[in-house]
Amino acid sequence: MRKRFLSLVVAAGMIMASLTACGSGDKNSTGDANKNNGETQELSDEEKQAAIDNLIANTEGTVDLTLWCSETQEYQDVMSELVENFKKEYKDVDFNITVGAQSTATCAKEVLNDVEAAADLFVFPDDQVNDLVKAGALQSVDATFTYDPSQTNSEATVDAATVDGKLYAYPLTASNGYFLYYNKNYLSEEDVASWDNLLAAANKQGKTVGMEFSGAWFLYGFFAGAGLEVYMQEDGKNYCNWNATDTEYTGADVATAVTNICKDEAAVNCSNEIAQAYALKGDMIADVNGTWATSGFMEAFGDGYAATKLPTFTVNGEQVQMSSFAGYAFIGVNAYSKNTGWAMLLAEYLSNEESQTKIGIATGEAPSNLKAAESDEIVNSPAISALLDQSRFAHLQRVNSNFFSSGGTLGRALKEGEYDDVQKLLDEAVEGITQ
Amino acid sequence: MKTKSDNHVLRHVFLGILAAIWLLPILWLLVTSLSAYKGINTMSFFPQKWSFDNYVQLFARPDTVANFPAWFKNSMLIGTFTCIISTAFVLMVAYAMSCMRFDGRKSLMTFSMVLGMFPGVLSMIAVYFVMKLMGLTNSITGLIVIYSAGSGLGYLICKGFFDTIPASMRESARIEGANELRIFIKVIIPLSKPIVVYTVINAFLAPWMDFVMAKLMIRSKDPSDWTVAMGLYNLVQKNLVGDYFSLFCAGGIIVSIPISILFVLMQRFYVDGITGGAVKG
Amino acid sequence: MIDKLEDYYTELHTSVKKGDLWTRLSLLIMGIGYIVRGQIIKGILITLAEIGFFTFTFGFSMHYILKLSTLGTVQREEHLDLVTLTKTVNDYDNSLMILLCGIIGILMILAFLHLYIVNIKKVYKIQLRKENGKHINSFYEDVKSLLGKKFYIVLLALPSLGVIVINIIPIIFMACIAFTNYDIDHQPPTYLFTWVGFDNFKSLVTLGDSTTVTFGYVFIRILIWTILWAFFSTITSYFGGIFLAKLINDRNTKWKKMWRTLFVIAITIPQFVTLLLIGKMFGDFGIVNSFCESIGLTKLLVKIGVLNASSTCIPFLSSPGWIHIMVILINLWIGVPYQMLSATGILMNIPKEQLESAKIDGASDMQIFWKITMPYMLFVTGPSLITAFIANLNNFNVIYLLTSDYVTANMQFANSNAKESDLLITWLFTLTNDYSNYKIASVIGICVFIICSVLTIITFRKMIYGGREEDFQR
Repeated sequence: MRKRFLSLVVAAGMIMASLTACGSGDKNSTGDANKNNGETQELSDEEKQAAIDNLIANTEGTVDLTLWCSETQEYQDVMSELVENFKKEYKDVDFNITVGAQSTATCAKEVLNDVEAAADLFVFPDDQVNDLVKAGALQSVDATFTYDPSQTNSEATVDAATVDGKLYAYPLTASNGYFLYYNKNYLSEEDVASWDNLLAAANKQGKTVGMEFSGAWFLYGFFAGAGLEVYMQEDGKNYCNWNATDTEYTGADVATAVTNICKDEAAVNCSNEIAQAYALKGDMIADVNGTWATSGFMEAFGDGYAATKLPTFTVNGEQVQMSSFAGYAFIGVNAYSKNTGWAMLLAEYLSNEESQTKIGIATGEAPSNLKAAESDEIVNSPAISALLDQSRFAHLQRVNSNFFSSGGTLGRALKEGEYDDVQKLLDEAVEGITQ
Repeated sequence: MKTKSDNHVLRHVFLGILAAIWLLPILWLLVTSLSAYKGINTMSFFPQKWSFDNYVQLFARPDTVANFPAWFKNSMLIGTFTCIISTAFVLMVAYAMSCMRFDGRKSLMTFSMVLGMFPGVLSMIAVYFVMKLMGLTNSITGLIVIYSAGSGLGYLICKGFFDTIPASMRESARIEGANELRIFIKVIIPLSKPIVVYTVINAFLAPWMDFVMAKLMIRSKDPSDWTVAMGLYNLVQKNLVGDYFSLFCAGGIIVSIPISILFVLMQRFYVDGITGGAVKG
Repeated sequence: MIDKLEDYYTELHTSVKKGDLWTRLSLLIMGIGYIVRGQIIKGILITLAEIGFFTFTFGFSMHYILKLSTLGTVQREEHLDLVTLTKTVNDYDNSLMILLCGIIGILMILAFLHLYIVNIKKVYKIQLRKENGKHINSFYEDVKSLLGKKFYIVLLALPSLGVIVINIIPIIFMACIAFTNYDIDHQPPTYLFTWVGFDNFKSLVTLGDSTTVTFGYVFIRILIWTILWAFFSTITSYFGGIFLAKLINDRNTKWKKMWRTLFVIAITIPQFVTLLLIGKMFGDFGIVNSFCESIGLTKLLVKIGVLNASSTCIPFLSSPGWIHIMVILINLWIGVPYQMLSATGILMNIPKEQLESAKIDGASDMQIFWKITMPYMLFVTGPSLITAFIANLNNFNVIYLLTSDYVTANMQFANSNAKESDLLITWLFTLTNDYSNYKIASVIGICVFIICSVLTIITFRKMIYGGREEDFQR
């Protein structure tokens, strides 16, 4: 018994020690603190400079910051380079900035597991904004000091980073959407204008066209193109009218149209890596995909590599342009960062025009900064110009996660074509999406 | 006599077929790891172009996603310590439950079995915060604690084995004046080689397999802090798999080396254990 | 049971009532009774433990225990000063930490109380011994008895501590979550969650509740599949393993070591690697499908009506039914080599004495098998069967890795964020990991826990309480 008792005491001691170690960091608490619930505040240039000077003056010792961004080598390299430049910009301060590799797709999940232990800054796609804001993980951009993101970036991007009228993140790239890759040695521009032509041309040559029909994210393109809606309401639940019967094109019309496309022998329902493998083998000559697949298709199609906006599709005998989700990536500042001020300045630095251009050139992603997006290297990329072309039809992705599981099953059913009553199927899916 | 030799041949052919089924995926792993193409080749079994580059890359060119030497070192450390601690725990608990009689033994056994039925995935987040309280997140020590601390619950198989060791052997040792510690170490453990081997192997393997808990515990995004399982799993995530699949396969092959060595070493003891069993017969 | 409790308290009562000054003083300073009677080291250790406990409780856990009833009331508020660019945060409550540290604190108090009571009784006993002039153990003798009759305390101390930290505390914590509203809208540290009683359980059973359209239906379906899966996967690999072991260890088999090694190779590759790999092989566009198509198997299956006419591939892992059978088969691939190894060890240990004496008594081979070999096998492998069954109920890896690409075909499953192939555990994982729905996950977890424990205890009762331990130890 004594032995067990002793170990309890030891354990207690250990817990005590670790707690006092944690506790000492949080002394700067005041009672009257209120959340700043206005929009981004306008500060004069002097005030901005004064704030930065104040921050530099008040900084003692080393400033530790962690940045999480996409794990690819190009991304990591360019970010490290930019971080070095940032350090040069503020020579008087001693920084210790770590760049970590974190897939953007699972960024919110990682952050929310333990906000307090997450990075000070992280790059994440726009569809995670809601979850992060909901958990209070994002520091709102109450003011900016070196440039104004809402002026320099496209309006749609800033909208995507805004929740309840408050900007929560710094726009970084605008290329997280999808469009059509194709091999121009096999397909003409006319062929890629519509699904009908595309599939006919592919069939004629015994080749295939890929798209992840059973993914809700891609499926959205058809329904939204025909004017049907899904979005998250203020209460956090989705609104969805994909089962509408009183719209110009009814939900059932669109569903049937999708099934018709999938029934075609040339249409292959496949995910990114399968599509790339088929393209490399030479079987697949077009695929609906995003910028992450650029290098793969460049290699696969060689000199035939081309990209364009999504094709139109036939609903009730009429051609309808496919829509898509417009995807953006942002830099967010952790609300639990110990060095909020510096984290905000670094985020500003990494998302300014110059940095965005560098990131764009290094990674092939389209900058959200309007001027950076116009630079030659970026405009000349087929994928980026296809994306820009498609962006005219793209919508902001503002849905909660229920959309993806029910929407995926709807996509699967439409792809298989195994349903008796299309309206019932859509009703069930909508019930799940809006639950 | 003819039927007997037919049987004989049939038996070996059958074993051969089974072995082929078991080895085919491993063979695919091996040939894919020797492929020059970095993505998944799902269309043909053998790669179009062969190359040894994946192995070179694995060891000589760590990048921002893959730092295999560091992973290997971390996993080796974790595996070794976990193996020692959990084997000790399992043997200790099994001995107490099988060879000693004390109040509450049976209720403790039932309790421990019931405890094992709680879905571990669910309490993961709680385990994380307990570890955080002790300041053990983000460290190899923390992972060792997680993998080995609860291992005492897995004593059942070992206890089953101890139960078959005749009590008379313990009795005679006791008469000779040995205390329980001595009986445990000098009498029971030498008789239990097969089960010790089984326990050692299981305990060593666990940290090489787990990526869920490791991913939660290791918050660092620097690949050099990861374990093999975490790192390899990360390589087959959606946006990396196209560039790293064959590297992943090469990693899988390399990981199997220490585990194979362990098995080969332990096979010897298996034979010992088998002859050891004759002592009792 | 009640007798025991009564004894527990009467004993305590007499100890306090009849104890002398030193014994009563031990109520305050726990070690003093030992120290005055010569057990100095023991006394000091116990007093130190007492001090440790009080510093822990009043220095740390009390703060949280007091807030347990509300789980915190002060929500986090922050203010960024735009002039100095520094941030101020109020002294906020973190519901999660309150619950966790509160539980730890209460467990500590309970453990201490028990120790406290036991301590008083012991001190009283020592007092009696002293009065009667009996021998009082020295510290050395105490240590010695720990290696003798009380050796189990030494053996169990560390493993128990580990289990308490890694299993028991987290389990109590998660069980408590089922009675709170911890979900995506109430995530600590920024937001607070609080107690809601049985609301979550109600929402699981009442169908049509807006937040849980089909949870009840899906729960039952997944539960059935989980049990079927655990049963079949355990049985198949158990008998597969014994069969393989017998096949290899038969005296007519040559190159035993080589065969064993060949199968062992399959388990030297980490499970998640082989599982991901096999998953890719059996994918809709994987090599198995390419192969089946090239030999015309796909067409044949379409012709005989196993697959519908539009199928271009065999949906090994992409269609309900198929996927269920495939995961069991693939699990067989994973599990058989392990079972083969343990069966090899155990088969070799069947007491030959019994077999031979039975033979001399004129028993037939069948009788020997049923009367000796089978009971022995079942007895020895029984525990491993239980362990395997439980492990399979919670077999996360196989299902998660093989079915991560699977999109459910059943809208009701989709609406509850589940798939037909999900086990309760993978469903729980999705609910917590992807949807932060901790409260419902916890409710489901508790249900699983209860169902599984009852099932297992009923099924294996005989094995645990059969009292046959001694039979085989003879």
